[in-house]
Amino acid sequence: MSSTTMHEGDASFVIEPGDVVSDPLHRDAVVGEVGAVDRHGRKMVEVVVQGWRFECTVEDAERAALQARASRPRTAGETRGGPLEIRAIIPGRIAAVSVVAGDSVLAGQAVLVVEAMKMQNELRAPRDGTISRVAVASGQTIEIGDLLVVLA
Amino acid sequence: MTARSHPGAVSLRTDKPAPPFARILVANRGEIAVRIMRTCRDLGIQTVAVYSDADADALHVRMADVAVRLGPAPAGESYLLVDSIIAAALATGAEAIHPGYGFLSERSSFARAVIDAGIVFVGPTPEAIDGLGDKLIARRTVSALDVPVVPGTFEAAPVDRPDDVAVIVAAAEQIGFPLMVKAAAGGGGRGMRRVVSAGELPAALATASAEAYAAFGDGSVYLEREVQPARHIEVQLLGDHHGGVVALGERDCSIQRRHQKLVEESPAPGLTADERTALHAMAVRVARAAGLQSAATAEFLFDTARRFWFLEVNARLQVEHGVTELVTDLDIVAEQLWIAAGAPLSDRVHAAAESSLAPGRHAMEVRLYAEDPSRAFAPSPGRITSWAMPSSMGVRVDTGVRAGDRVPPDYDAMIAKIMTVGPDRQTAIARMRRALRETEITGIQTTLPFGRAVVDDAAFIEGTGLSTGWVLERWDGEASRTEVAHVAARIAAGVAAVGTVTGRTDDLVSVRKDTDRPGAGGAPADSAWRNSGRSAAVDRWPR
Repeated sequence: MSSTTMHEGDASFVIEPGDVVSDPLHRDAVVGEVGAVDRHGRKMVEVVVQGWRFECTVEDAERAALQARASRPRTAGETRGGPLEIRAIIPGRIAAVSVVAGDSVLAGQAVLVVEAMKMQNELRAPRDGTISRVAVASGQTIEIGDLLVVLA
Repeated sequence: MTARSHPGAVSLRTDKPAPPFARILVANRGEIAVRIMRTCRDLGIQTVAVYSDADADALHVRMADVAVRLGPAPAGESYLLVDSIIAAALATGAEAIHPGYGFLSERSSFARAVIDAGIVFVGPTPEAIDGLGDKLIARRTVSALDVPVVPGTFEAAPVDRPDDVAVIVAAAEQIGFPLMVKAAAGGGGRGMRRVVSAGELPAALATASAEAYAAFGDGSVYLEREVQPARHIEVQLLGDHHGGVVALGERDCSIQRRHQKLVEESPAPGLTADERTALHAMAVRVARAAGLQSAATAEFLFDTARRFWFLEVNARLQVEHGVTELVTDLDIVAEQLWIAAGAPLSDRVHAAAESSLAPGRHAMEVRLYAEDPSRAFAPSPGRITSWAMPSSMGVRVDTGVRAGDRVPPDYDAMIAKIMTVGPDRQTAIARMRRALRETEITGIQTTLPFGRAVVDDAAFIEGTGLSTGWVLERWDGEASRTEVAHVAARIAAGVAAVGTVTGRTDDLVSVRKDTDRPGAGGAPADSAWRNSGRSAAVDRWPR
């Protein structure tokens, strides 16, 4: 049995042996890179549909269900999960930082600006919270994956 | 086979004129460098490429007869180095330099330095570049020609003299809000700010001026009324060194985002013959007054009351020049080279200018950028793994990128121009819709889904939706992407599960896989996909 989930949690879909996997949009899709199975039993498959590129993580459905149960919040009131590490998704240079540790922010509030490819890219808080740490400073060069801000 | 051996046989060979230059240097990169070099090859001109470390394996470098390294990736250490480029031209015996667009193409100091070194500059004179590049000077010149300019100021705003603030606010109130604060040394949409009320004005002036100074070395700013909604319509101009100037047709470039053009077409839909004639005449008047030589574009806004307002002149070859080439069947770069060598405007050019008032063809262009249209067009640099461009009836693709190339983050994100042409607008659109469906790119996200949405949009097809605010009003990238996420999931599950699904493999075979193409398919055992988070992303990019 396999299930597919997206990196961003957009969609998950379970297929079982014997399933017919077809969709009219299949003809408007291209499969790109297919990765090897990693140590968690997951495989990355790149699919581009109507020009939209997805990096799909495919894993065994039973394992995926176990994972989901394990990461479900324990208490009813705990909906936010732990502190959120916000990492760089593009390389570039920090052009401006508009918060410091201790600041309360609202979802959508501008937190910092990354300059890349001759454009300014604003990073916004994905949810309400408090900045527990600012890991970069204005003028700093960053790579993909670098920690930028921790939102508690 | 010669005429001698077969009595009555006619030789089809005609005498080709000698090329305008023996060798030229192309001071640019990417698709425009490739495009210029292709014309050089057509004409029998040898080419010299210049490149940064990020472009050492780039197509334009491989294509050229000689290549000279300029420096590390950042443009300021490579493609903007005036002295290095001129030295490269002298060392390689290049007789002329074509600057392309962007980079140094509108820097009069570069044009001057090239000329002083005894090399021909394929472009306007330094004086014309100065006169047109300073938007304030251009506005003054043009309004004296009885060509309507966007209402606004004609002097640099007194940004740092607090006593004069009242004066500028009064001027602003005359113009009316909302208005635009623009950089005099800017252009192409850079260094601008929108102001909705008098209270915002002093701060907007100060920040716009600071930005302009940082970007262009000149902090002068001026005010212009915001003309919205409006269409952006521009005229392709060509001038020789003998005073000859013609208009080769207009393009509608209204589909823009943050003043970055995304879709262009020619002729501008819906213009009457009189409007077209008047527009071309205004553009030629401006070009003559500026003493324009070589190629340039005069940009206008066309408001809902069907009035044209002069915006600016770009004294260079533009990205979208190919659209005009398709309608006119002219090679504008070739004509630039003939002009630069001293020839008067050719008969081809004159014929094209005449028929541009009633063109019998329609062409359009969709630009592809390495940007993610579901995340506010955030840049998406990375390595392109597969790259299949459309072709056949009425399709032209200009690109400098091939499969396996990295799109570096150091330069503009545009990676390809997909153009179509046909006898009428509907054919050009139908061909574009087909061409975009044939376009396949993996490895990075591009703006392809956005391009497809535009040419599928009913208002675009009817020609009624065109205005520079169109993107903001109609595009929801996140929603568009989410709509097909489930399809990607299914396909990925099918691909991953091949081998474990029994009995129904025929439908799975209909999913095209790269596993059949050499080099694709399963990654090696130490694949980056084994690792999570940062290392997976880093390995994916600088491979």
